[in-house]
Parts: sequence; C-alpha cells; structure tokens
Amino acid sequence: MAAARGALLKYLRVNVATVQRNPSPFSLSFNSIRRCFAEEVRGSFLDKSEVTDRVISVVKNFQKVDPSKVTVNAHFQNDLGLDSLDTVEVVMALEEEFGFEIPDNEADKINTINMAVDFIASHPQAK
Amino acid sequence: MGASRGPRLSGLQKQVLSLYRGFLRAARCKSAADRRQIESIVSAEFRRNSNQVDRKNFLYIEYLLRRGKKQLEQLQSPNTESLSQTKQS
Repeated sequence: MAAARGALLKYLRVNVATVQRNPSPFSLSFNSIRRCFAEEVRGSFLDKSEVTDRVISVVKNFQKVDPSKVTVNAHFQNDLGLDSLDTVEVVMALEEEFGFEIPDNEADKINTINMAVDFIASHPQAK
Repeated sequence: MGASRGPRLSGLQKQVLSLYRGFLRAARCKSAADRRQIESIVSAEFRRNSNQVDRKNFLYIEYLLRRGKKQLEQLQSPNTESLSQTKQS
C-alpha cells in the first residue's frame, strides 16, 4: 500500500515536473521574436562575395574602363585611368545597382573596388 | 588606410563633384530618353570646363558653381522635362 502511494506520488511529481518544464508562453514568444529579428538583421546585409561580383561587373560595364584591368584591388584613378568625374559616375551606377543612396561625404572616399565593396557590404539598405 | 591613396580633394572640387552628383540624381527622375540626353549634356559640360578652366581661377569656378546650382534647381522641378543647349559661336 505504502509502495503504491509512493509510486503514485512519484508519478504525480513527475507530472508536475513535466508541466513546469514547458516554457511559458511569454518566453516562447520572446524567443521567436528575437529569432525573427536576428534573421532579419542578418538577411539585410549582403554577402561580401556577391557584392564583390556585382561591383566588378558594374565597373566592367563602364564605358571608359578596360575590363581586363578590373581586379578586386583596382584603384579607380591610378589603375583604371578614371578621373574624379568618372568616379562620381561609377559610384552613382553602384547606387543604382544596389538600390540605395550613398551620401556625398562617403561617396568622396570611395576610390577603389575594395572600398566600394566594404561600404556596400556594411550597409544594411543595400539590395 | 593604405588603399585610399589618390589625390585629396579640395573644398571647391568637392562642391563641383557634389553638383555633378546632383545633376545625375535629378536626371534619374526624368524619362529614359530625356535622362540620356541630360546626362550627355551635363557630362560634356563638366568635362569641357574641367579641361578649359584653369584650376586656380577660383572666381570663375565659383561663378560656374552658382550658375550650375541655379540650373540644377530648375532641372529638379517636375515641370522641367529636359535640357537643351545652344551653340555659342
């Protein structure tokens, strides 16, 4: 009899324990919100290799550029023979490719393919 | 940064480049054919002045900047469809 009671209590206790182990609705929803948010943030930054490929293809399509000279490390003025007006045009073409506006003070600093890639890859609005 | 070698821009140069950017942005809002025409006129004008105007002729460059800003304001108006140019003899 005592053994049966003990077994019953144990069973009940186990039951209670399983109920308590379930996460509360609050923490569940909090976690799922946090997960969605994290995925959204991660998804909005573009993959760096994809950015590199797209930047290189935009620069190669630029009339005045010799496509064979375009490399990841190319400097617009020193290596590709562009002047500052051409550089403005290249950066504007990149803006259109990635669908966001680059402010003037940032655009003035972009002089190499690498810098364009770094800036675009670190910009959450780039598409 | 080692990668950023290249000429440092003066304040006046930055203003010119920013004006050029402004024109190219304004051109985006026009129809495709007008846009092409605006871009070719604007880039020819900037390039011509960059070759012909002495880089130390600050007064004239500032005059051109002021004139360009006025023209840009007119171009930005939605009523303006395109640019035209007349040949000076």
